[in-house]
Amino acid sequence: MTQPLLKVDDLSKSFGGLAVISEVSFEVPAGGRLALIGPNGAGKTTMFNLLTGVYRQDVGTVTLDGEVIDAYPSRARIGLGMARSFQNIRLMPHLSVVENVMLGQQSRARGWRDFVAPVSAFGRSAAYREAEDLLASMNIETRPGDVVATLPYGIRKKIEVVRALAAKPKLLLLDEPAAGLNAVETASLRDFLLQISETGVTLLVVEHDMSLVRSLCTSTVVLNFGRKIYDGPVSKVHEDPQVLEAYLGPRHAGEKEAAHV
Amino acid sequence: MSGYWIGLITILSINVIFAYGIFLAVATGQLNLGGAGFQALGAYAAAYLAMEMDQPLFVTIASGMIVAGVIGFAISFPILRLKGVYLVLGTFAFAEVVAGLILNSDALGGATGLPVPTFIDWDVPAIAAVIVAVGVFWLMSTRFGLVVRSVHDDEVVADLMGVNVRMVRVCAFALGAALAGLSGALYAHAYSFVEIQVFNASLSIYVLLYVLLGGAQTAWGPLFGAAFFTLLPEALRDTLPALKEAVFGALGIEGAATPPDESWRFVILGVATVLMMIFRPEGLITRTMVERLRPLNRAPRAARAEAAE
Amino acid sequence: MLLLQQIANGLMLGSVYVTVAVAFTLTISILNFLNFTIPTLFMLAGMVGWSLAFWGLPFGISGPLPWPLALAGGVVVAIVASLIVERFTFRYLKTRYGDSTEHAIPLVSSLGFLLILENLVRIEHGSDAQRFPGPSADLTLSLAGIHLRVPQVVSLAVVVLLVLGLVWMMKSSRIGRMLRAIAENPDAAGILGIETRRVVPVVFMLTGMLCGLAGALFAVNYGEVSPQMGEDIGSKAIAGMVVGGLGSLWGAVAGGVIIGLIEMMTIHWAGADTVQATVWGALLITLLIRPQGLFGHHAIGKGKL
Ligand SMILES: Nc1ncnc2c1ncn2[C@@H]1O[C@H](COP(=O)(O)OP(=O)(O)OP(=O)(O)O)[C@@H](O)[C@H]1O
Ligand SMILES: [Mg+2]
Repeated sequence: MTQPLLKVDDLSKSFGGLAVISEVSFEVPAGGRLALIGPNGAGKTTMFNLLTGVYRQDVGTVTLDGEVIDAYPSRARIGLGMARSFQNIRLMPHLSVVENVMLGQQSRARGWRDFVAPVSAFGRSAAYREAEDLLASMNIETRPGDVVATLPYGIRKKIEVVRALAAKPKLLLLDEPAAGLNAVETASLRDFLLQISETGVTLLVVEHDMSLVRSLCTSTVVLNFGRKIYDGPVSKVHEDPQVLEAYLGPRHAGEKEAAHV
Repeated sequence: MSGYWIGLITILSINVIFAYGIFLAVATGQLNLGGAGFQALGAYAAAYLAMEMDQPLFVTIASGMIVAGVIGFAISFPILRLKGVYLVLGTFAFAEVVAGLILNSDALGGATGLPVPTFIDWDVPAIAAVIVAVGVFWLMSTRFGLVVRSVHDDEVVADLMGVNVRMVRVCAFALGAALAGLSGALYAHAYSFVEIQVFNASLSIYVLLYVLLGGAQTAWGPLFGAAFFTLLPEALRDTLPALKEAVFGALGIEGAATPPDESWRFVILGVATVLMMIFRPEGLITRTMVERLRPLNRAPRAARAEAAE
Repeated sequence: MLLLQQIANGLMLGSVYVTVAVAFTLTISILNFLNFTIPTLFMLAGMVGWSLAFWGLPFGISGPLPWPLALAGGVVVAIVASLIVERFTFRYLKTRYGDSTEHAIPLVSSLGFLLILENLVRIEHGSDAQRFPGPSADLTLSLAGIHLRVPQVVSLAVVVLLVLGLVWMMKSSRIGRMLRAIAENPDAAGILGIETRRVVPVVFMLTGMLCGLAGALFAVNYGEVSPQMGEDIGSKAIAGMVVGGLGSLWGAVAGGVIIGLIEMMTIHWAGADTVQATVWGALLITLLIRPQGLFGHHAIGKGKL
């Protein structure tokens, strides 16, 4: 019960001699909602890339649900229960919404039978219905023929989250889900994420919008220049002197956050 | 049916199958500029088995497909490691090496070519083309097709979603090679003769252009592209002389040697290519366009449920 | 002695390949663009040169021109054609739709131009090879028992000067520095105030000039031109570029010469029919074993534009 879902131990990564992540350790409890924050270039996206295997760490281990996952290739990690979204929306532009979500189911496809099973709207296949139901349960109403590129930004952000959900992950990694959204959309996104969290999915969220972090997450890890400078409850983060310094003092911190949106 | 139509249907069917062969590779984002090489493999395999071993039609055509497919599968492992321009050059070089080797093979007739005893009429290529077209449409509507299209759009994300990108590319490439081989085998039997000069670099270029101009996002693209550029010269048969005169008049050339019609067809293909790359680089038939033509898909979920009742 | 003679011939043959290979490698290294019109520009210069020397200017403006003037005309036409190609293949064809084949847009467009130019020449002059009324190709020079034809020696000298000039230009001149900045990073170059739109045509001018000169040298050396003459040279030049390494000028020089030698050796030992297999085989093996070639950079030609 006390075992964390995700455990990051002493992780380091450098690009051409430049240390981007240095000796970072933290844990995400099962069912928890943890925020990973820090100024621009702190290494948050790089951390996600290390967790999902896009890059290999130089040192350190990542443990998911009690299993060390370092040896798994990036392709296999989603099958272990870890799905992610991207900082810049990376939906497949030429696929429809439902098809994008069906791509999220890919890690659950087994054997050649699943590969030749029809997934089109005409066949009303199981995969298709499942994707459509998932979208509907998240209150996203789309037409099957909608190609992603034609949809509004806020909807696409949500669809990316739903695509990750389609893998039925235990841990959901979200890279700045609220970036580019207005206040109304952000509020709607928060409810959406809380709804996901209630189904038992653990959330690890990179976010610059501190009001969203406060209302969504319980604890937070702060990175600065690749080092962990804070690890604790969200409510105390603004009292930490190191964090305040990282964000250039309390008054400037507010401005900086605003600048990210 | 008259000889004219028989010839037309035969070449149309062969080109459609050939275009689908290249399409499968392009649909995963890999430009295969070695189409002629795979077609040549299929054609020569079929011709050799028919001529030297007296094999029946069924065997020769199947063998043409298998030989090209197996060689495509084997070569795809090293060749698909290449990216971008390197891949284009690699596939192109492969086709040239195949042609160069056949040219030097006495068993395959070298520069003189091989006669093919078993003749097929238009019906075999036509049936094969229909089967291939239906097959590719079906394939694109399966999870495999979904994965193929995702790899084309963003291979990093596809990989993170659990797609074995390399395997998908290899399968699509090898399957495409097999289809190109099939088109070659049909060619060999339909024309009763194979010579390596036919399977030249230009052929690889044309078939890739059919696919790219038709559109590589859906299975409609290659069908349309191949059909359009095969039938275009026929459609131009009457208007071409007038067009020629107009062009010559404009250029102020008088009494020039009567130009070969083939050349005009390729000039038009070239102009179409340049214009398409400027105005519609994703090809004539796009996903969005196909979706717009499906009325059912324009309705939201609830409305469709009602309509279904 | 026969072998030595073949090596000498290979070097001479290589010099034409080198010029075209340098044109290929220049466009690839600066613009990441495999320009398939290059062999066509080469052919265009030769055919236009022949046409001017045989028929004269169009519209009856003049009768047949003397051959040096005719070849100069061919080179000018190649440069103009290359600039037209730039206008339509490259200028407006940047990232329009985001996916993995978009880097191929200029390449595909250049395939279109290849078809247009080659077939227009066919329509105008037919497909037959034409005798070029140049200086006598039989003028020979004997050196230690090896016979060298004077036009070949002149070509070699011209090519060496051309390449040296280009290398100097890329290294030391202002335009060369701008081009290298664009090659490094087009966006950053734009921010630094380099007007890509003005500078990029220079690459195409150079391409047209190199191809035009190569076509002229070919016409003089072989005394024969045809609408097909680009295909063979183009493939040898591409092979030379790949063997030498994409994006490296000296690589293209070395590669062109190597291909010339491979060709002569193949003819010497195995016959002319085998050349296609050995030259393209060399290319394919290079790609599979060492894609960066002898001197190239692995990054070039890999990613998107
Ligand atoms: N592939 C790479 N090669 C070299 N440097 C890299 C690479 N990826 C990231 N970096 C560097 O690592 C640092 C951290 O980048 P990262 O994208 O992780 O920051 P971030 O915290 O996500 O910032 P932001 O808030 O702007 O998204 C940056 O300085 C970046 O330039
Ligand atoms: Mg980031």
